[in-house]
Amino acid sequence: MAEEILDKVRDVVDGEIDFDGQRRSEVIATLLLAVSGLLSFNIGYAKQDIVLAVYIGLAGTLLTFLIAVPPWPFFKRNPVKWLPAGSGMTRT
Amino acid sequence: MHNTLNRLQSVFGFFTTVAGVLACFIAATDLYTARSPSGVIKPTNTQVVKGRPHYYSTKKEEYAIIKFSLDADLSSLFTWNTKQVFVYVTAEWPEPGTNATNEAVIWDSIITSPSADHLSNIGPHSMKKLKESAKGRSIVPERGILFLKSQKPKYQITHPSGKIANAEDVTLKVHYSVQPWVGLMSWDTESDYGFWSAFSGGVSDKFSLPAVKTKDEKPKKSRDTH
Repeated sequence: MAEEILDKVRDVVDGEIDFDGQRRSEVIATLLLAVSGLLSFNIGYAKQDIVLAVYIGLAGTLLTFLIAVPPWPFFKRNPVKWLPAGSGMTRT
Repeated sequence: MHNTLNRLQSVFGFFTTVAGVLACFIAATDLYTARSPSGVIKPTNTQVVKGRPHYYSTKKEEYAIIKFSLDADLSSLFTWNTKQVFVYVTAEWPEPGTNATNEAVIWDSIITSPSADHLSNIGPHSMKKLKESAKGRSIVPERGILFLKSQKPKYQITHPSGKIANAEDVTLKVHYSVQPWVGLMSWDTESDYGFWSAFSGGVSDKFSLPAVKTKDEKPKKSRDTH
């Protein structure tokens, strides 16, 4: 009983997502951070306000963390298709 | 990237890289912004008095008190990346018999940009007035325009020998130091560098320091009654 609870806790903490989800998460994170950096510099320079630039950069980063880090369901859409147990090698 | 902690670390790592590159770009914009500081400085009153460095010292030294008038325009130094401008006035005079120059600061002041007003070392009422003077603008170049008439110096200067009376060829020079939010600190330059011009003016004519001020002797009233 305790083992089932522990397993559930481990799943939540681990937050495992499938391989394609991992790839998508990394691409989304890289793109979002780069875009927030570009926006931060350009808007800040146009308005000559460094405080605004910092706020935009931090807001974009927070958004990236919220989208790319937690194990959302859309990262688990391509689970690995394991073969049924015992269907592999047979002893010759 | 297979667990949450791994993704957290990876995203944070790239965030610091982006922040670093952003800081480099912001600092680089300063190099492409023109600077054209200018100013006129004149000594208005000089006196040399005798005094002690601190209460218990036995040595008596001569101190020069140089009042001056300053009319300067440092507004071009204020960009979006400027945190504070530190402006200071020095008195320079040559050491007779050598090639050395004596230099001492007589006055200085910190001018903050609105983004750094909260860092000023002033009381709550002055802080409120300072913040309101910005009127919501992110840069206030007008704060760089200085107009001081017969300003009392902050510091009374002396020479390591303790003697400064009758020093010759003394000049007052205005300097500044720009402290940015990101990037390297910079000072006033001797010559032009790219978009940054050297300080135009900012050096006073040569003058001499007077002799030590002595108390005038009042004629004593005679105690003779006859």
